[in-house]
Amino acid sequence: MSDLLNEVMQRDDLISPGISACVGCNVELTLRLVMKTLGPQSILAIPPGCMGGVGVVGYGATTGAKVPVFFPLLDNTAPMLSGARLQYEREGRDVNVVAFAGDGATVDAGFGSMSGAAERGDSIIYICYDNEGYMNTGFQRSGSTAKGSWTSTTPVGERLGGKTQHKMDFPMVMAMHDLPYMAAASVAYPQDLVRKVQKAQQVPEGFRYIHVLNPCPNGWGFSAEESIEVARLAVQTAFHPLFEVIDGDFTLDRPVSEPKKVHHYLSRCRKFSHLSEVETEDIQRVVDRRYRRLQALVSGTGSYEAASDG
Amino acid sequence: MNRIKVVNGNEAAALAVKMSSPDVIAAYPITPQSQLVEYLGQYVADDELDASMSEVESEHSAMSILQGASLAGGRTFTATSSQGLALMYEPYFRTPTLRLPVVMAIVNREMISPQTVWGGPQDSLTLRDAGWIQIYVESNQEIFDAIVQAFRIAEDEDILLPVNVCYDGFYLSHLTEPIELPPADDVAEFLPPYEPDHILLDPDDVMSVDPLTPGHLLMEYRRRHMEAQQRALQVIPQVDEEYAGLTGRSWGGLTYSYRMQDAEVALVTLGSMTGAARVAVDNLRDEGRKVGLLKIRVLRPFPATEVLCALQDKRAYAVIDRNVSFGWGSGILHTEVRAALSGKNIPSLNYIGGLGGEDLTVQMLQDAINELVQLDCEAVDAPCRWLHNPQRSGDR
Repeated sequence: MSDLLNEVMQRDDLISPGISACVGCNVELTLRLVMKTLGPQSILAIPPGCMGGVGVVGYGATTGAKVPVFFPLLDNTAPMLSGARLQYEREGRDVNVVAFAGDGATVDAGFGSMSGAAERGDSIIYICYDNEGYMNTGFQRSGSTAKGSWTSTTPVGERLGGKTQHKMDFPMVMAMHDLPYMAAASVAYPQDLVRKVQKAQQVPEGFRYIHVLNPCPNGWGFSAEESIEVARLAVQTAFHPLFEVIDGDFTLDRPVSEPKKVHHYLSRCRKFSHLSEVETEDIQRVVDRRYRRLQALVSGTGSYEAASDG
Repeated sequence: MNRIKVVNGNEAAALAVKMSSPDVIAAYPITPQSQLVEYLGQYVADDELDASMSEVESEHSAMSILQGASLAGGRTFTATSSQGLALMYEPYFRTPTLRLPVVMAIVNREMISPQTVWGGPQDSLTLRDAGWIQIYVESNQEIFDAIVQAFRIAEDEDILLPVNVCYDGFYLSHLTEPIELPPADDVAEFLPPYEPDHILLDPDDVMSVDPLTPGHLLMEYRRRHMEAQQRALQVIPQVDEEYAGLTGRSWGGLTYSYRMQDAEVALVTLGSMTGAARVAVDNLRDEGRKVGLLKIRVLRPFPATEVLCALQDKRAYAVIDRNVSFGWGSGILHTEVRAALSGKNIPSLNYIGGLGGEDLTVQMLQDAINELVQLDCEAVDAPCRWLHNPQRSGDR
């Protein structure tokens, strides 16, 4: 374990014990790590989604967090934080204003307002937990759902076999916003995740974005104890490469010289169990193409960094 | 010392905002509101206004930024019109239900379709039940005065609700009139700093804001919100009176009566049409008609008692609506006024006119009064009448 992760793990847990996340939920783990890293001088926005649903914002007269926490709307997480931050700046207060939002609130409904906040350079830290759909309401499709995936709104039947469009390459969409700090991270690589959150915090101003892929045991169909392993396979197959962009310079944090074939990842999830070889090959083709594009951006702007963990 | 300045309605609003010293302004430009945002931007650029200004990508985000700023303890302002207000509806409803004292000018503009950019308060009237206080004004001076008053009303610890100051697009926003500006120090004294503790995001005083709320608590929130609206019926006239002590100008608080004392019939108006209605009343008074004028200044909370008192001894009244209430076959103001007079069997007429920026002329209003004077009691349930400008009827 790295020194940083070790040190972060000793800090106060700012999320209440006993929130009602599903067994094996790696989003809860991500949130606890993120908030331990950022510390108590923070306010936390959790739009409707899994982490709101499991009680982090509280219920009735109770709360699920030890920092000020609130529900933004599904589609205004970023600007609500922008406004709070503007007021803190007027008062000379250095408060982390933090979004912890699912892909529905980020890639779908919240995208316009988040992109606006990013363009303005509003000083917020935005973390997207991407579990590829509206998981707390029964797994409806989002723009971030992978192609071929069964969802409750893209069911598998005689005529159709799951979602018909590829997953939006949303980390790249945010990379193209030219942010002072942007990263793709994974809960399977906690040292890397914590380092990125700390780095985002240390950037003095501007919009900072971290995209975390969080495979969902209940929704995607794998057992709770496979939660981290499936997340790791997404990185090892280059389905979700880990990278950073700092002021336009791309860095690949865990370069995968010979990525595993994507079927090693897809085959672990029941939501893909109906895919034919041809359909799997189609996903492989897009994964390869996107990884080549990322490598080209890295070689064109930044540098490879040797793996430091795991 | 008071200063006289010749300004259009948007500049009157901007000057009032400047004197009210908001912390955060977020706005998106839309015709006919855009100048107001431009004036505010210029004040900030010239260091005449110490506010944080955010030029957002939509009205939805404008209101969202103000919610965040207000939750962090700031005084906030924005302005919009028609489609912008419609886009803003989601956070619009949430601002009063979070009890955030945001002030927003609505430069009234007709709703599409058909495609239009001209005036009419259909935009804000349609949202009258969303929990905001709504004040409708008739002149540029009243725009200025009402915005200063709005911050005071919104932040009153017995109210804590957002306030809309609504003024007619183009007729006021782009019309130039002289207004009188009070000294900035007087306004600063009239508006003590906003120091919230009812709802606040502060890492040193941890609060969960708006957790998932079961129905029995939600009902408690709704009850208190409705009570705050009713308390505003007392607070708004008090604030108007105090402001009159400062400036010498009172706008009547909730409603404004003109030549109503001995009137047998009355016109009921909202917004800038009141100016023309006053002239129409004067003209027919000169002809011996006993007619008066009641301006509804505050639509929410609805001044039911004042409306009842003003109209209950009249033989008949006519409500002029620059809007429609689909499904009622009448205008919105007419249904509101009739509700306040339920139980009183007073005949009334409803006129709809001036939609989409069309003029409501003095002649039209005089014709309405003449019809009203001759009104037969059987006509109580007559359908609404449309005020058309015959000179425009040849347009294709």
